[in-house]
Amino acid sequence: MLMCPVCPAQTIDQTEVPLAKQMRAQVRELLASGATREEVLAWFSAPERYGPSVLAEPPRSGFYLIAWIVPGVVVVVALVGGLLTLRAMRGRRVNDGEDPVTSDGDELQPYLAAVDRDLALDTDTERDNG
Amino acid sequence: MADLGAACLWMGLALAAYSFFASVGGQLRGSPALVDSGRKASYVLVVVLLVSTLSLVQSFITRDFSLKYVAEHSNLAMPNIFTWVAFYAGNEGSLLYIAFALSVMAALAIWLAPASTRPTLAWTTAILMLIEVFFLAVMGFMANPFAKLPFPVPDGQGINPLLTHFGMFFHPPALMAGLVGISIPMAFSLGNLIGGKGGDEWIDAGRAWGVGIWALLAAGLLLGSWWAYTILGWGGFWFWDPVENAAFMPWIALTAFVHSIMVQKRRGMFRMWNIVLIDVAFGLALYGMFMNRGGPVPSVHSFGASTLGWVFLLFLAFGVIVPLAIFFWRYERMKSAQSLDSMLSRESAFLVNNLLLLGIAFATLWGTVYPLLSRLFAEQEITVARPFYDQVNGPLMLGLVLLMGIGPLLPWRRANLRSLQRALLMPGMAALATIAVLLVVGIRQPYAVVGFGLCALVTTSIVAEWVRGTVARRRSVGDNPAVGFVRLVLANRPRYGGYVVHLAVVMVALGVVGQSFYGVQRDVALMPGESVTVKEYTLEYVDTTALAFSDRTEFRTTVEVYRDGELLETMHPQRTFHPAFNMASTRAAIRSTPVEDFYVVPSENREDGAVGFRILVNPLVWWMWVAGPVMVFGTVIALWPTRAPARRPVTVASPAPGAAD
Repeated sequence: MLMCPVCPAQTIDQTEVPLAKQMRAQVRELLASGATREEVLAWFSAPERYGPSVLAEPPRSGFYLIAWIVPGVVVVVALVGGLLTLRAMRGRRVNDGEDPVTSDGDELQPYLAAVDRDLALDTDTERDNG
Repeated sequence: MADLGAACLWMGLALAAYSFFASVGGQLRGSPALVDSGRKASYVLVVVLLVSTLSLVQSFITRDFSLKYVAEHSNLAMPNIFTWVAFYAGNEGSLLYIAFALSVMAALAIWLAPASTRPTLAWTTAILMLIEVFFLAVMGFMANPFAKLPFPVPDGQGINPLLTHFGMFFHPPALMAGLVGISIPMAFSLGNLIGGKGGDEWIDAGRAWGVGIWALLAAGLLLGSWWAYTILGWGGFWFWDPVENAAFMPWIALTAFVHSIMVQKRRGMFRMWNIVLIDVAFGLALYGMFMNRGGPVPSVHSFGASTLGWVFLLFLAFGVIVPLAIFFWRYERMKSAQSLDSMLSRESAFLVNNLLLLGIAFATLWGTVYPLLSRLFAEQEITVARPFYDQVNGPLMLGLVLLMGIGPLLPWRRANLRSLQRALLMPGMAALATIAVLLVVGIRQPYAVVGFGLCALVTTSIVAEWVRGTVARRRSVGDNPAVGFVRLVLANRPRYGGYVVHLAVVMVALGVVGQSFYGVQRDVALMPGESVTVKEYTLEYVDTTALAFSDRTEFRTTVEVYRDGELLETMHPQRTFHPAFNMASTRAAIRSTPVEDFYVVPSENREDGAVGFRILVNPLVWWMWVAGPVMVFGTVIALWPTRAPARRPVTVASPAPGAAD
């Protein structure tokens, strides 16, 4: 896709300003003369014409490759990191950090057991519901 | 009247500042009376800002062109109904709207605050009032809607013609209120932290407001898309424009939040994570406001040249750094109350959902700031527009839809692989069957095939859940299916309301996939009497009548649409030229059916009498607009308050997480 150089964030397909119409006509002409999509894009983004900023997406080479790689890398790293963190949480028994005075006593054990029963009940009803 | 409005603005600033200092001071000195007066000041603020708002409305109705704002955004020819839109058409008025909307939401939030948040409510009030102070001060000192012109003008400039559309009555206010509304769940979480609590005290309030604001933003985004579809005249509904993105990212982060908050509600886990998520959503909302008002990236939606950029940049920095600092200050107090039992559980499904959503938010943010990075480091202007976002976010969204099909089948704590397989059997078969049918009828686009297959997976798994639940009720309680179904939904509103919202998301996905991969577009110029055939539709151009008004000329075009030689409909798309703005606005004529939209818009009126038409056949787009009400309905179910639950004794002795639902 080609951007309209004089409109904010719009492609030539989207606007009716004269320059965009002219560029659309040029695209048609180039395609009619047998140019491929890549050749048309290269023609427009040549430095002596509109430069690379006329392209709606960053080129996939050199410095601009970063634009494409970073999101993928971040998502993968986040997923791996998140799942590893979650795994580290597994089996770790933590008392409620609310109030250190009440959270360590043995008198809490019956309650915790009740909570567990409650939860088991919940998951059971859930499974019944679902 | 305008003077009264201006005075109320200053009074509002004083009240918000008083409320802030009284809340902080009262809490620090342990004076309930002071805290109470601060809380009440936040209620009075609503009244004062209401007067201010009404005063500006009245200035519009009377066309008081001595006010700069009124003169710039209305004229004598404007029907009064558009006062609603003109009110927030510019920087100053929209700030007043935001301040008023926030004051209403803040007062409601403080008034309705659940008992668990009461001990730290003063901090929450203080945070909200600090935000109010910011908006009111910006208005007072930099962008006063009641500023006067040196001398009144006879007629104003008029309203931007693009705004005179029904979608504009709700889209901007919903988004503005939604973006600023994120500060409410944020304030509950932060207030709780400042008050020294690190647990689940804030999550009921945080969830309710989070879900409500989420729906508001979702409705706002959908209406904005609908507006773009019918009025911008290029036939699409979403363009990954920097300002669209600015509203989209906080909504995505909020989507993650409303999911992950359930983990804390049910299981007492993800305590830190939820705070991080709501802070991220808040930061992205502030970033959106910054982009909207003098941000560095061009967009069709922004408020134009504005000098407010740097103030909002400071606000953004403040709003990101302060919550982060408080988070680390209170780090030690937040510990999960439960541990994870199994990696195959709903908890981990929620985590993956969160990470994918944040991935989308990140990729979008990255795309918005990359042009700036490129300008800085490579000294080369570069554009990041739609194709980039489509390609990067597309797969992530498909992943989310897949998860939407599987996640709800996983029980809390620990899933049994065998039962999961059993539960997945039918949805999986439905997905495969759908894919097979699509391949047979010649739909081969990989994205579309996978997308539709996943839509089938999700729909089947939700319907199967409902059926299974209803059947179970019938067996155990003996309810008849209809009653059983309703009772089932009522028994677990967050869950079944969420399913309804999931169905709405599937509908949106259908529209997006249909339009993106199977939309057909033709641009033609026709003389009266000529016709063109697009797919199985034949369009004949009949005529155009020009109607001159004092501020615009309307070109009403009549076209007849035939299919199989039969007249389907006579349509009247319209193109209007506005000399005052030197721009044309269009109104597409759309014949919308669940199968596909036939869309026609006149793109130019040539001097030789020919009219340039853009004609589109967009499959399945209808479903997108139907999804809006469904989404709101689902949210209402999810949020509908349950009758005061009988508290189990265990919750009295300890704030037993997970048991209190």
